[in-house]
Amino acid sequence: MLFVEFRFFWFFLAVFAVYWSLRRNDSRKIWLLICSYIFYAAWNWKFLFLLMGSSALDYFVGMMLARTKNPRRRRGWLTLSLCANLGTIALFKYYNFFVSSSAAFLAWLGLPASVHTLNIIIPVGVSFYTFHSMSYTIDVYRGKMRAVSNILDVACFIGFFPQMVAGPIVRAFAFLPQLESPRKFSDVDVRGALVLFLTGFIKKACIADTAAPFADRYFAAPSNFTAASAWVGVLFYAIQIYCDFSGYTDMAIACARLLGYELTINFRFPYFAQSISDFWHRWHISLSSWLRDYLYIPLGGNRGPRWFIYRNIMITMLLGGLWHGGAWTFVIWGALHGVALVVHREWVRLTEHRPQAQLIIRWLAWPLTIYWVCVAWIFFRAVDLQHAFPALRSFVLFRSPGTEDLGTWMLWVVVGLAVVHWLNSLGRFSEWWRPIPAPLFAAGYGCAAAVVLLFIPPRYTPFIYFQF
Amino acid sequence: MTKQVSNNFLCVAIALVALVATSALLHALFPPAIPAGVVAKLNFFTEHKDEFDTLFLGTSRFNYAVSPEIFDRITRESGLPTRTFNFGVDGMHPPENFYVLEQILKAKPRKLKWVFIEVSDIQVKWTDNVLGTQRLVYWHDWSRTALTLKKALDPRGNAQWYIKLARFWLARRDFATNLALFAKQFSNVGRVADFFSAQNSKSASEVAVELGPKRDGYRLAGDAMSADRAAHFKERLAREVADARSKSIDPYADRAYREAAAQIRQVGASTIFVVTPVIWQSPIRFPRSPPPGPLLSFNDSKTYPQLYDTRVRIDDGHLTRQGSQAFTDILAHEFIRTVRPVVDKP
Repeated sequence: MLFVEFRFFWFFLAVFAVYWSLRRNDSRKIWLLICSYIFYAAWNWKFLFLLMGSSALDYFVGMMLARTKNPRRRRGWLTLSLCANLGTIALFKYYNFFVSSSAAFLAWLGLPASVHTLNIIIPVGVSFYTFHSMSYTIDVYRGKMRAVSNILDVACFIGFFPQMVAGPIVRAFAFLPQLESPRKFSDVDVRGALVLFLTGFIKKACIADTAAPFADRYFAAPSNFTAASAWVGVLFYAIQIYCDFSGYTDMAIACARLLGYELTINFRFPYFAQSISDFWHRWHISLSSWLRDYLYIPLGGNRGPRWFIYRNIMITMLLGGLWHGGAWTFVIWGALHGVALVVHREWVRLTEHRPQAQLIIRWLAWPLTIYWVCVAWIFFRAVDLQHAFPALRSFVLFRSPGTEDLGTWMLWVVVGLAVVHWLNSLGRFSEWWRPIPAPLFAAGYGCAAAVVLLFIPPRYTPFIYFQF
Repeated sequence: MTKQVSNNFLCVAIALVALVATSALLHALFPPAIPAGVVAKLNFFTEHKDEFDTLFLGTSRFNYAVSPEIFDRITRESGLPTRTFNFGVDGMHPPENFYVLEQILKAKPRKLKWVFIEVSDIQVKWTDNVLGTQRLVYWHDWSRTALTLKKALDPRGNAQWYIKLARFWLARRDFATNLALFAKQFSNVGRVADFFSAQNSKSASEVAVELGPKRDGYRLAGDAMSADRAAHFKERLAREVADARSKSIDPYADRAYREAAAQIRQVGASTIFVVTPVIWQSPIRFPRSPPPGPLLSFNDSKTYPQLYDTRVRIDDGHLTRQGSQAFTDILAHEFIRTVRPVVDKP
């Protein structure tokens, strides 16, 4: 079930109406949990048991961590939770990758091995909900929060349907307190949530799904296209992935907000970042901050000698890349971002006392950042390395044997969307609708929704991040 | 609190009214684009509407099986000259064909005398690969959707209300699917994309393919079935012959065919219903009498063995070029035999 489908509209209407008609907080949470599981089961009911198992285990680990003061035992319980969660991801997402990569490596060494890969369906959103789940046990272990005594709360936190399958990756300490007290409808910013949902819908259904066929066409056979088409294909993919993911996040935040819950922000105009470090403060913020808090800092973070910090950055970014899926393309994507972060850090250190160099880079910062981000997207999107390198050559060297053309005029579409996005970043479209009287706002919303429907493609494209 | 709740409901009602009103306005301004396969024939027929007096409307079974050239030659030789256009389109089953018929009649073809309509039941089930496509959405206006919903709820047309209620659960997927398709059609979902794809599909080569080499709508079919498939076909045909028993078309199709015949009469033409030589051997009839027009049935392998020879068949429903020549010949003679007494009446 996708947020942009008709059936989701009916589903959410039922969730919303029943939720607010229930008086007791526990009844509301039970209702939310049932609906969340129905939402997940609509994709594949068998994997619901995995989600339930993950919730039950982490609730149990949380309780055991609360009971024992013995550091060794506490570490043992945490290890159990981490092994179970990471083991789940490893089995479903990385088993085939590691087995086939090892076989390829052995073959390269002249030791051909017979391998057995599994025909595994990856449970939708497994990387997201296991990260939700792990954040709970780690925070309890670290003493950042108390263990929750009600299993319903833990199950609701992990399974909460707006953020379950593609984030934002909500932290336990930010969400669980919201479940403790009943939400009040009078506190809900209905108007803000509705505008946010429509914005997300436009991003996903109108922009991302319209850009998708162009990007798909290009990345299916990059060698067949001209170098100019490489730019169209890559830029359209950059637009698609941003609008797809941030559109999903907007809709998720809006749905949660209509039920009285606040989710963390996930995007802050990432394509206007002035450096790669800035980019990671604006793109998929919930993942980058998760990796920072639970991986980068435990590795040593910014403490220690320079090479040690750079090692930490590279490990974090490589694992961040691998989090997206078991493929070398994701590893290279993570590595490219890691290298860029190291270079940026080194540049900042070298030019700390050189204002002229800083002045030069101020003008080049944005184009360099967006260019590098797009280069990395090539690996993120490409089916495999054989498809990635021709696209990279066309994009970087303007050389391609292909003759097919995607239409260079479409670069103007990119310019147009960039202008709208820039105006939005300046806050030109925000808040002006707040003072409008409610009936007028309702009428305008209905009209706007009718116009938006005109522009969506006839078929939905699944959310890109659902596969992660 | 009560006032707040009523205000909220009022706002929801206003938003819904605005949504419906704007959608209706946009629907009137930008009517659904007719997809490529259909629009090529529709445009050509509209441009040449006064050149044709006979029209074949149906699925690919008509499209590949009726050669206007042969049909017109036989009718001319029999003293009942016609000028025929084959409006068969792949997968154009009821109720899509009724929508297309309406569009054809809107063009007011002044010379139209005969409309042959392929008979089959109302379709309510759609496979996942066509769901949401422009081809399925464009004809889902309310009258056509209502037919599908009624059929889904009460296929025989005589169920009590409690049976309908039970059927509602059994047919929930068909019901929801057709309703969603109507919602898409009415709320103009994807209309801009449809407009661009309709513009793109107007290329001369695509239109030429749809219209066929003689520009009469007839497309040449493929080769005869393989030996394996032929053996399987013969087995199935034998089973169909053994199981054959008289079958009424569903009451909604019956009603829709009668309405179509009435619309055709209004432009001064007559309707002839045809059952093509398909593998299903049950004699088809209209549930109410008199039928809305003459019914010519060819799904009878005993009467028309030449149409069931595996060398002239592509599959269960389609004929090869040789088969289509034979079928057109038989159809034309049947037509003359059926309408001559009426035409010759003083």
